[in-house]
Amino acid sequence: MNDTSGLPFAGDAVALRGVNLSLGRGAARVHILRDIDLNIGRGKAVGLLGPSGSGKSTLLMVMTGLERPDSGAVVVAGADLQKLDEDELARFRGRNIGIVFQAFHLIPTMTALENVAVPLELAGERDAFARAEHELAVVGLAPRLHHYPSQLSGGEQQRVAIARALAPKPAIVVADEPTGNLDEATGAEIIELLFRGHRQHGTTLVLVTHDTALTAHCDAVLHLHSGRIEQPTPQMTNKDRAKKA
Amino acid sequence: MTALALRFAWRELRGGLRGFGVFIACIALGVMAIAGVGSVAASLSDGLARAGRVILGGDLAFALVQREANDSERAFLDARGTLSVAATLPTMARTSDGRTTLVEVKAADGAYPLYGAVATNPEMALPALFARRDGAFGAAADPGLLARLDLKPGDRITIGNAAIELRAVLTSEPDKLAGGIGFGPRLLIGEAALRASGLIQPGSIVRWQYRLRLPEGGASDSAMASVESEARATFPDAGWDIRTRSKASPQLERNVQRFSQFLTLVALTALLVGGVGVANAVASHLTRKSDAIATMKALGATGGGVFAIYCSQIVGVALFATLIGAGIGAALPFAIASALGAVIPLPVAPALYPEAVTMSVAYGLLTALAFALWPLGRARDISVSMLFRDPIADERRWPRRRYVAATAAIVAALAALAILAAYDHRLAMMFVASAAVIFAALRLVALLAIAIARRLPRVRSTLLRLALANIHRPGALTPSVVLSLGLGLSLLVTMIEIDGNLHRQFAATLPEKAPSFFLLDIPAAEADRFDAFVRAQAPRATTQRVPMLRGRIIAANGIKAEELKPAEGSAWVLRGDRGITYATTIPEGSRLVAGQWWAADYAGAPLVSLEERTAEDLNLKIGDSITVNVLGRNVTARIANLRAVDWQSLGINFVLVFSPGAFAGAPHTDIATLTFADGGTPREETALIKALADAFPAVSAVRVKDALEAVDHIVGNLLLGLRSASAVTLAAAALVLGGALAASQRFRIYDAVVLRTLGATRAQLLAAYALEYLLIGLATVLFAVAAGSLAAGLVVTRVMEFPFLWMAAQAAGAAGAALLVTVGLGLAGTFTALGRKPAEVLRNL
Repeated sequence: MNDTSGLPFAGDAVALRGVNLSLGRGAARVHILRDIDLNIGRGKAVGLLGPSGSGKSTLLMVMTGLERPDSGAVVVAGADLQKLDEDELARFRGRNIGIVFQAFHLIPTMTALENVAVPLELAGERDAFARAEHELAVVGLAPRLHHYPSQLSGGEQQRVAIARALAPKPAIVVADEPTGNLDEATGAEIIELLFRGHRQHGTTLVLVTHDTALTAHCDAVLHLHSGRIEQPTPQMTNKDRAKKA
Repeated sequence: MTALALRFAWRELRGGLRGFGVFIACIALGVMAIAGVGSVAASLSDGLARAGRVILGGDLAFALVQREANDSERAFLDARGTLSVAATLPTMARTSDGRTTLVEVKAADGAYPLYGAVATNPEMALPALFARRDGAFGAAADPGLLARLDLKPGDRITIGNAAIELRAVLTSEPDKLAGGIGFGPRLLIGEAALRASGLIQPGSIVRWQYRLRLPEGGASDSAMASVESEARATFPDAGWDIRTRSKASPQLERNVQRFSQFLTLVALTALLVGGVGVANAVASHLTRKSDAIATMKALGATGGGVFAIYCSQIVGVALFATLIGAGIGAALPFAIASALGAVIPLPVAPALYPEAVTMSVAYGLLTALAFALWPLGRARDISVSMLFRDPIADERRWPRRRYVAATAAIVAALAALAILAAYDHRLAMMFVASAAVIFAALRLVALLAIAIARRLPRVRSTLLRLALANIHRPGALTPSVVLSLGLGLSLLVTMIEIDGNLHRQFAATLPEKAPSFFLLDIPAAEADRFDAFVRAQAPRATTQRVPMLRGRIIAANGIKAEELKPAEGSAWVLRGDRGITYATTIPEGSRLVAGQWWAADYAGAPLVSLEERTAEDLNLKIGDSITVNVLGRNVTARIANLRAVDWQSLGINFVLVFSPGAFAGAPHTDIATLTFADGGTPREETALIKALADAFPAVSAVRVKDALEAVDHIVGNLLLGLRSASAVTLAAAALVLGGALAASQRFRIYDAVVLRTLGATRAQLLAAYALEYLLIGLATVLFAVAAGSLAAGLVVTRVMEFPFLWMAAQAAGAAGAALLVTVGLGLAGTFTALGRKPAEVLRNL
């Protein structure tokens, strides 16, 4: 791991300083992220809210090293992502970050079990399949281990994606609209699954969502507008309610 | 529905032919090869027919061996037009310092050539070229002769007892093609020089050609035919081989046809390999269109309607591809004539050959349909619910029965066309059967590879597991890669093994105890002196000497030879004249298989011993009769026994061996083999040939190694043609392979990006993909090497009748190269997948 001890935000799970990112070329170039400064403490659950095109998903990609900013610093779980090459980033993600995509992004040629086992195998875990099986059982898919993604419903696919993200026990889990494609009841199940890991293992959770039911579980909610983080609006989360009570 | 279907089909295609690149290239390539081979062969046959009188040297040609035409025959020919006589024979050319080489002498009279022109460098009129000057006759020599003996125009050589001055280089001989393959380079001399050489001895193997030019106004085909029938009727026992300008070189024409059939079959293989590309392209086109199909069905389109739309699209694209291929193929004779016309020694008459083009279009369309109907039939049943599901789940569905039946009917039509259009139906049937077996076997290999990969216990290595999962996953590359690589490599291995075996047969190793020389035209009267000479000059060598006459089979059991219908393998026995002999004991290299050998002192009516396979092919048995014409005399003999002949020994072997006395009084010469116990050294050989040329100027020595090298050279040229056609097949295989890999590219990019978000490094992904290609490739390569070797073994042992030796190194080389190409092509695509930024791909998913 590269040394970030000199940085003022080294203790945070995620820290961004002065992050800017533009995409496209020439006249089509769009400034997506503008001077983003952000700190997410370890073990926190943070919701990212904002209208479409405000840069929420891009911010998630920058946090996970899938996108490199044009300027600024990105430190995640103590590692300065700017200093890692493509392969080091891949290994880093495998060990430290679990990602849940809105479109699930399961590998269609692998069964549910194999999909969940992949990050464990890539990390060299010997008991990858036993753990994958356990994770799938936790999300209620024990009877669907050997089904291909095309043989699963949307909710089941999302549960496989969550099992895959949680299986390596990452320090940080990021999720992009995890309930976006699901009905209310299934969405509630998914929220419960995501926050169970957060509660039990202290996993840092970063969620992009429009779903107020989801943000209600978060420690903090950040609003993104035209690529900038606005001052957090006071919001009563479930946790605040619990504290008050 | 048809008009509507066409309208819909056109609407979808007007955006361009994206995704059909491999389809079009595969069909165009195969059709081009078939149209090209057919057109070039037709233009050669046409060229041969049009140049018939030039190639033949006259309107009619009458060939006699070992004897000249007698006075009445000559008078008959003289009375019917202008006559030219030319004699050809092999003999030894000697330089003053003792260097020797075998040459094919042609001695022409003053009327030669009746058609066409002889070209020499420097240009010389034939009378001046041939005239005797300063004690030497003049000659024009093939450049090969000058090179072999290191001579230049103006130098002198000796043939027989005649001194010959080489006055010019022979650059073109109009009637060369009809002469067939000679023993050595041509030496063109005048008739007077031949008569002065002393080479015309009683029984010498001299071929006398009498060419007749019919008078102007009387040279019609019917006039020609009447001269031919008159000659046959007037001289029934002449034993001459009569040819007319319409069939100047039947042997060459047969060879062109036979060779073009081999090339057509190889080209058809290319088309079949391309068919796999068609199937892949159609399947992925329909997968891309599955949403559109489901939507159309949701809006009221019937299954039949959907089939009609997409089938007309595919037929349209196939027609487009076929016409491109047929157009290029039809243009090939023109390209060859303009680019190589001056170089190739064959008359090419470039023209548009509608039959060849139509045939290629039929092959192209049938192949495209045969491979497209299956996926089209499946598309018919795409359900509207597909809009909500991933198509992979339905991968293993079969089309309805009517589409399976239609596919079977088209495949049967394709096979019938290949068989019926072939010159040799048996060979074509063998090809069709082999293609069917190999297709089925490759499909089985693919299924087996998939089944094994699926059933293997879970392996520890993630890379290996990823590779194995990719082999058996739904929609895996395995079937396409196995088929295209398997077909291409099977053909390559077959070609390499045949090539290697032929080369070995003719050049690499001679059979043990193979003779070093064949010695021709040993005067029978000097046989004892010859034996003594060899004993003294080459004490380490052994000789076998037998009488040799030339004769033509005229009839069997009273049925004329031209009315006999021999099997293809023995048809050559009835064509032209054959060497025949007589013997008191069973010849060396022969084994009696039926009947009794005659007593050593047998003096009764003529008996003959026949080679067993010829007997079988001509449907003859012991007790039947054979009539041969030798030196203008018909001799009828009863078949006394049958022999098995070991042709591989390269000894003196004859199809017909007569009882002594059958040709009593007929002048003849002997033929001998000379064998050095250990093969002989070049020095020994050269010394012997020099001494022999001095002592026996009329005897010709054919070095066996040279003769085999000459055959190897010819076979090499033929194989070059086959290799070129095979290259088309390999190109088709590479196209299909590349197409299949490209089609999977979208999925691979997706897989690679998702895996990278989960922690996979580029090296890990590269290794996993390389392993996948390597495993599929390995299974295919093992099968292809086995199938190719088996096919080559069958061709070599059954068709060519040589012993087969498996060339392991060559097969391994081809297999290694194929593996490299597969992994290389695969990884080339994978690099693109790995080069894509994850975020860029994920944003667009």
